Amino acid sequence: MSAPRFFAGRGITLLQAQRWAGSLTALFAYLACAVSGELGPALVALFPVALLGAHFFGERAYGKMEWAWTLFLAGALVVLGAEVAATRLDVVLGVARFTLLLCVHRVWHRRTQRDELLFLLLCLLLLCAGAALSAELLFGFSFLAFAVAGTWALALTHLRFEIEAGRGPQGSAALLQSRRIATPSLLGALAALAMMGLMGSAVIFLTFPRVNIGLLRRPSRGTPTAGLGDRVDLSRHGTIADDPRVVLRVRLEPPPHPGLSNLGTHWRARALEVWTGQGWAAAGGAPLPVTRPPPRPKLGGRGGPPQSATIDAVAGFLEGVLVTPEGWPLRVEFHRQLSARGAPQRLLANAAGDLFYSPVEIGDLSYQVWSERNDLGVSLLRGRGQEYPASVDIDLEVPADLDPRVRELSRRLTAGKDPADAADAIESYLSSNLKYTRDLPGEQADPIAHFLFERRMGHCELFSSAMVILLRAAGIPARNVTGYYGGVHTDAGYYAVRAGDAHSWVEVFIPGAGFVPFDPTPAGERGSQQESLWARTVLFWDTIQERWRAFVVDYDLVAQAQLVKQVGAMLSEAGRRLSGKGGSAPQLRIALRALGLLLLAALLVLVIRRAALSRPGVRRAFLRPDQKRAIQLWREARARLHQAGLEIHPGTTPTEAARNVPATGQLVSAYLAARWGSARLPPEKARYLLSTLNRALEAKPQTRA
Amino acid sequence: MSARPPTPAWKRRLTFTRLGRWYTGLTFCIGLAAINTGNNLLFLVLGLLLASIVVSGILSEQSLRMVRVERRLPSGATAGQPALVGLMARNEKPHAPSFSLELREKGGDVAGRGFLVLLPAGRAAEVAYQFVPSRRGVHRFDQLEVATRAPFGLFEKSRRHDALAELIVFPRRVEPPPLQSRQLAREGERPEDRAGQGQEVHSLRDHRHGEDARTIHWKSSARHGRLIGVDREQERRRRVCVVIDNRVLHGPALEAAVEKAAALVERAMDSGAEVGIAACGERLSPASGEAHLHAALTMLALLQPAPRAPAPEPDPQASLLEVA
Repeated sequence: MSAPRFFAGRGITLLQAQRWAGSLTALFAYLACAVSGELGPALVALFPVALLGAHFFGERAYGKMEWAWTLFLAGALVVLGAEVAATRLDVVLGVARFTLLLCVHRVWHRRTQRDELLFLLLCLLLLCAGAALSAELLFGFSFLAFAVAGTWALALTHLRFEIEAGRGPQGSAALLQSRRIATPSLLGALAALAMMGLMGSAVIFLTFPRVNIGLLRRPSRGTPTAGLGDRVDLSRHGTIADDPRVVLRVRLEPPPHPGLSNLGTHWRARALEVWTGQGWAAAGGAPLPVTRPPPRPKLGGRGGPPQSATIDAVAGFLEGVLVTPEGWPLRVEFHRQLSARGAPQRLLANAAGDLFYSPVEIGDLSYQVWSERNDLGVSLLRGRGQEYPASVDIDLEVPADLDPRVRELSRRLTAGKDPADAADAIESYLSSNLKYTRDLPGEQADPIAHFLFERRMGHCELFSSAMVILLRAAGIPARNVTGYYGGVHTDAGYYAVRAGDAHSWVEVFIPGAGFVPFDPTPAGERGSQQESLWARTVLFWDTIQERWRAFVVDYDLVAQAQLVKQVGAMLSEAGRRLSGKGGSAPQLRIALRALGLLLLAALLVLVIRRAALSRPGVRRAFLRPDQKRAIQLWREARARLHQAGLEIHPGTTPTEAARNVPATGQLVSAYLAARWGSARLPPEKARYLLSTLNRALEAKPQTRA
Repeated sequence: MSARPPTPAWKRRLTFTRLGRWYTGLTFCIGLAAINTGNNLLFLVLGLLLASIVVSGILSEQSLRMVRVERRLPSGATAGQPALVGLMARNEKPHAPSFSLELREKGGDVAGRGFLVLLPAGRAAEVAYQFVPSRRGVHRFDQLEVATRAPFGLFEKSRRHDALAELIVFPRRVEPPPLQSRQLAREGERPEDRAGQGQEVHSLRDHRHGEDARTIHWKSSARHGRLIGVDREQERRRRVCVVIDNRVLHGPALEAAVEKAAALVERAMDSGAEVGIAACGERLSPASGEAHLHAALTMLALLQPAPRAPAPEPDPQASLLEVA
């Protein structure tokens, strides 16, 4: 394996390659751990600095200030141990942090074989810590890179120390500094080796039986970045950001019309009923455990079939609130019945009909909601009277200092109208007469009046808040509802609801129908308008993450069984076709038989070739002619001795034979010199030796006493 | 060497290295953690570790496969002096190189090893090791073992090749003892009754046409009135016989005697004499030349105590050098 000519003089020495490979392995192991976001900023910053510093100063600092390192590590162990003991720190996270610090120490102490192997061991432990801390897609990329770098590191470390052991320090120096060993072809071959390892890893991953004991499971915790809080503030400044982060991944059954790129569905989270003067807050009262959502009122009209929505809610966005699609939720089922700590998932509901889940410790939440969509037209809601139960009194509360213009507008829009018609009129008025904008109004004394009469533009919360106040001023119970609107189709087959799709609308209480949704925000402005490159990139990344999660992170016994079933189905289908059932083509059978014969022929050729190469004659193909002649000479001598009645046992060496039969002495000397040494044995000499032996045997008996 | 069934070509030996034991233990622990937690990412890591073990096994087999080894012994070796033994390995694979090969002697009387970083496909390479024989006599070589720990050093896989051989190690070189006057008895020239290139006149005859004029015996020619040529007598080399009585010698005494005998043989041959050896029950007729020296040293190398053998029978025509 010689280096290409252009590479001569350039390239990397074996020693450099080995050290760089080790450093890269450590870097990727660190990244695998760091993507979890749980290491803390100090450690995240420390490791790359240590790695870089060790590259330049590690050799000089080797073995120095060991007491300082010992003190540092011992102190870290004590601190981390105390935090774990006080349950302020998760034990896995504590171990991961300490492993990282050990790695930092080892990065600055790499010289002997023991140092290098310990270093690689710590890198592997760091990778395992990353696997325990995080299920992110970035871990997957780090893992792939680790596999390649780790293969380089292990192979080059082995090679380096084999050379040092085999040739000694002086003899190995030239090889270690050679630029003709760690060539691109060697590194490429090792990378190919890593790919083989990864393929094997995939096979083992798919086939290793999943039997979960769950004794040491650690809850993964998402970092809350945005949430469905229990209040809304209308006096904020700034602009609502078009946040492209995916909040919900939804699959509907029955699936919507193919080609539907945007669902246009409301995703209900919380009802906020208490007006604070500057916004809304949830009514008090803790949610209570329920087995199923509250039953829906019996309505007239034609109801549609129940629709099921399988929802994967990204960690950090829901924080205990269960988001449900449009329609009345009939049933909720959690896909992962047990939380990370083994506690069962529970469904809770509050007086306002909001649904919650507990415990909230797990990261992503996966659940399925069956709901009944019943598109109730105004005509169906009309004529149900205005007898309201006491439970909706809170939804009738109007601010005492309500602007008279608001009252007047409410009267004008709702006078003499049925509540359903009144709600419809207010909805139409707001969506037609006011404009939508993402710019927030800032602090206003009366945000509703400012919106309705002065600014005359606002975001969805202002539209819904104005409608609620107008309805309540007319004596119709209404409340503000938060959630999301939309759902964009992805290549992975699910609909993605994004953080920028956060929305607010209204629920109006109609006797006999319960709270019915109305949305005064102009239809074209609901949800986010995510068409930028960045939004598309985020969505693409989310689809990859979803696939990573589905095929890797969430691969369980059920998925394994399904895979086995699919493989079995494929095989039985193939068998069915081969047997001629189901109209399969006989040509397929012929083709398969031909393939089988070809494989058999190839195997036969391989076996014959191996047998030919292992024949003794072939094995000696590289004997010199003198050596071959010596072997032949000894064979003929033995034959001649046998004819003379002097048996040479197969286990007797030529020298021993010469001692027993002195006449063979000269012949044996020549044989040994030619066979094992570098002496020549010309044909005439061989003939001479044989004829001398013949004469000696004919002359007198040769056995030694 | 006792007969032994040939080592099959497929037979391999697999042993863990220290790193391999740690690696396997760690794999086991990670497997346990993966099964216990059901963490699929740990299964990925476990899969990588297990696959690396499998790949390591495949590659180490690939390195050993179709690698032939042979030993090249020196033509001679002397006790106490370094001898170089060559180990040649040939990679008969058409495309795939072999990495990190260690060639070792296995069994036999000599331990030696060599290391090859890389053996390209279709090529041969030779390494040599030095050994210093501590004794004379036959040194047996049994098997050659090819081992590799490539690519990761987790396991050592080895394969043994039958490579029976033996090397005769000559006696240690010592200073030859000074000659005694008794030992110089019967020195001197003896007539050899045949024509040759000597000084003495062997016979007279008619001078043949074309012969060298210097062969003309002028005195006889003048007497006879025709040209008479002369045949000179063949000069006989000095004959020496080294006598060693190994009926009574054994242990260090025998070794010392053999070493002295070897020194005497070499000195006598260097001085141009024809040297023979007489020991109890065996004899080497006097002769000269490199091959004879080799035969003489071989005989001395293999000389053993022979308490029941008959007395040495030295050449009656040779000067005797007795070694006590």
